[in-house]
Formats: sequence, C-alpha cells, structure tokens
Amino acid sequence: MFTDTFDKITWLLLAVVIAALAGVLATNHGAGAGRAAGLGKAVEREMAYRARVELIARLYGPVEELRTAGNDQEALLRLNELIRSYPGEAHGYILRGEILRKMGALDEAVASFEEGVRLNGDYVDAQSPLSRRRAIEGLVVEGLAGIGGRAAANPGNRSLAASLRKVNYLKSRLAGGCE
Amino acid sequence: MLRDRHFWMVVAAGLFLGGLGALLAVWGNPENSGICVSCFMENSAGALGMHDNPRMQYLRPELIGFVLGAAASALLFREFRSRGGGAPLPRLVAGVFLIVGCAIFIGCPIKLFLRLAAGDLTAVAGVVGLVAGVWAGLRGLANGVEPGHPSPGVGHGGPLIPAFFLLLLVFLLVRPGFIIFSGQGSAAQHAPVPLALGAGALLGAMAQRSRFCITGSIRDAFIMGRRTPALWGVVAFLAAAVAANVAFGRFNPGLHGQPGAHPEHLWSFLGMGLVGWISVLIGGCPFRQLIKAGEGDADAGLVVVGMLIGGALVQSWGIAATAAGVSLAGKAALLAGFAAVLAACLFWRARTA
Repeated sequence: MFTDTFDKITWLLLAVVIAALAGVLATNHGAGAGRAAGLGKAVEREMAYRARVELIARLYGPVEELRTAGNDQEALLRLNELIRSYPGEAHGYILRGEILRKMGALDEAVASFEEGVRLNGDYVDAQSPLSRRRAIEGLVVEGLAGIGGRAAANPGNRSLAASLRKVNYLKSRLAGGCE
Repeated sequence: MLRDRHFWMVVAAGLFLGGLGALLAVWGNPENSGICVSCFMENSAGALGMHDNPRMQYLRPELIGFVLGAAASALLFREFRSRGGGAPLPRLVAGVFLIVGCAIFIGCPIKLFLRLAAGDLTAVAGVVGLVAGVWAGLRGLANGVEPGHPSPGVGHGGPLIPAFFLLLLVFLLVRPGFIIFSGQGSAAQHAPVPLALGAGALLGAMAQRSRFCITGSIRDAFIMGRRTPALWGVVAFLAAAVAANVAFGRFNPGLHGQPGAHPEHLWSFLGMGLVGWISVLIGGCPFRQLIKAGEGDADAGLVVVGMLIGGALVQSWGIAATAAGVSLAGKAALLAGFAAVLAACLFWRARTA
C-alpha cells in the first residue's frame, strides 16, 4: 500500500485530514456551539420530564386536596373527568387505583393500577419521582392472596381470571427485565 | 472427545457465557437480561437516536466488547478475513426479522436460556420454538435452500463493522450530547462499564475461538447427536447460569410474574421459531453474527446493521412485546417475517432439472 507516489500522497492526505479532525474536535471542545450540542438530548428530556411532573402535580392537585379532606367519592368523580380529558395520561389511573384500594375495591384498584402502569412504566421504577412501587408491591401481594384465592375456588369465572392476569402483569413489571 | 482441545474450548465458552450472563444481571443489568443481544440492540439503536422509547436507550458495552473482542482474537490468531458478497441485501432484511422474532419473545437465544436458567417457565415455549425453527431451517438446507457463499476480498469492507463499534466505544466513553442515555426503565439498569466491556470482550474472543453459538449448537445436535461438542457447550452454559442464579438467590421457578416475560406462549414459540429458522439459513444467531462481523465477515456485518435497524423499528412501531403480551403490530410483523423466510426458501433454492 506504499508502492507508488499516488499511495504515498493518499496516505499523507489521510493523515492530514485525521489530524485536522482531531484538531477541530480538540480546539472546539467546550466552546459555544459545542456546549450547545453538549447540552444533549438526555438533558433536554430530563427537563421536559421535570416539567411534566410539575404539570401533573398542578393538574391533579385538586384531586389530592379532596382526598386529604376525606372526600374520596368526589375525588373519584373528578378523576373520571380528568381521565376522559387526558386518556393517555397514566397518573389519573394510578390515583384512582389508590382511592379504590382504600375503599376496599381490590379488583377495580388492580385494574386501574394495571392501566396506569401499561401507559407509563415510571410508576414501577424505584427512582422515579412518580414511583408507586411500594403501593404496587403491596397490591400484588394482596391481589395474589385475595383474587388468586377466589380465582382458584371459581375456576370458571372469567372476570376473576382476568383480574388475576392483571395482578400477574403488575408482578411481572415489578420483577423488571428488559422491555 | 474429552481429549479434543476444541471440545474444552466450547465447554469453556459455554461456562463463561452462562456464568457471566447471570452475573451481569447481578452487577446491574436488568433481571434475566445479563446478556441479550436483541435487547441490547434495541438499547443501542435508542442511544443513537433511532427510536424514542425513553426507557430503552443505552449504548450497551457488552455488544461493543463482543465485536472488538472477536476482532482482536481474529487478528491475534490470524483469522481476520475480509469476506462478503453472499446475498448481502437479504441478509440485512434477515437481521431486521431476527430482531422482530426476538422482540416478540422478549430476548435472543442467549436470553432464552438465561430466562430458563432463572426458573422462567414461559421460556419453555421459546425453547421448543427455537428447536422447531432450527429443524425447519435444516430441512430447507437439506432441500437445497442456500443463501449464497461469501467470497474473500478487501473490497467487501470487512473491517468496517469493527471500526463502527470502535466509534461506538468512543461515544460510550466520551458521551457526546447526541448520544442518549435513559434515566429510567430497563436501559437505566446496567453493570459498570469496565465490567460489561471486559466481559463482552472476553466472551467475544472465546466465541471467536470456539465458534460457539446457541442455535449452532442445536443445529449440530440435530446433525451429529451427542457427538457434537457444541451440545456440551449448551449444557455447560445452563449449568453455569443455574449455579450462579441459585448462588445469588435469583432462581425463582414459576410461570407468572417473571421479569421481561409474557403469557402468550404460542407467540413466544413462533417468535423463537422465526429466530431459529433464520439463524440456520444465515449461519448463526444474533450473537454469532456479531462475532462473525468482528472477524471481517461483511455479510454478517450487514445482518448486524439489519439488527440495529430492527431494534429501532420494533420500538418505533410498537412491535416489541411487553409483559402484557404481543401487540397486533407485533403479530403482523412476525407473520411478515415468516412470509419473508418462506419466500427466501423459494428463491434461494438450488433446483436440479
């Protein structure tokens, strides 16, 4: 590959271009445009995520106030309105699940949590500011005992089987894995 | 067989692949996904901005290690050969469908056995599917289905894939702003970079020397029975992975609530069936394609590029299965994959007049 003048010139030019590339990268590292690029998609996404968490807090703040005041029925009605307005937002389903569980409606609570986690997996992440991992863990234990027991006693009951599938889905999401 | 050096190389490769596969999950990778070429391809495609699932974006060092370890080993032992030209474009498409099949099952053949070794009984359907797919592929080969032979020559660009993965290594270490790293989800779970990279490089080198791969082992077992060393490699893989999982309290036998698994067994069977079938036709599973690409095989390199594209598509188009099951898009993509393989069997078949 060093046989003639053409090869030698080509190798020399290649070396010059690589050196120039390294020089451009080295000298512009940390400068204006470089810094802007260095802000990075991950940082931009983190900022958008934080903004979303704040928006959720504002949007669902009135519901939280109703819950704190012990007015669960009215909170549920308000949540249903919000779920109709924002069907792709998981937070409403999670809050509804929490209220239903508190009211003792285990099957409905499982269904609501399952819908919420399907829409947004952040709720099973321990590090997420939206995390409800401990609540979901408790729900799964309760669901396996309660719904699992009833499903075993009534093997032909389709609605119980569907509820059990939802509990198992939540259990799978808690277990983690790559998906 | 016990006096054969190759036998012990294969067994060692199986032991390390199974052991490190389980250990990488202990060190931080997602549960049962210590090594999963398809999941890691989806992660890497996301890190390069090829899809926007914020939970699946990370430049997995293991993949970089596989290719660079294989390349280093091939160079060291004078086995690096630039070669290619054996039906390159169909191989690229095959790479896409390999990832589709894996995404439907949620895992590549290595993860299939790692899931099984952790007690995930839903993986049984995948094992049966993989064996059936390998059998179907072998039936095709026996009847003259042949995707074409590569020819040697630097013009095929054999070093390009190792060079690309070297660039990915630079990106991983420098972390420029255009590379995306998930803050949440499974991609945010990862073993420390030096451990992941070292394990990947070691496994890449061992797999290059031994030619060990999961689907290749099943294929060889069909052809040679118990006489093939590859079968003992799989046994060693399973033994090491089960031992590591038991030792670290990660062996949880059961059908429900398994990490990264779903209850749609028919689709798990079909997903791995497609992977097995394609793997036999193109000469190796996703892991083996990375190793061959590291050795200078440009055809395998195109499969790797196809897998990267597939990793992006399965996330962007909602093809990848989740714990909830397989989506309609996923079912349609899998059936399209079977249609493509069947068509390839018709077009690639060498017929005698």
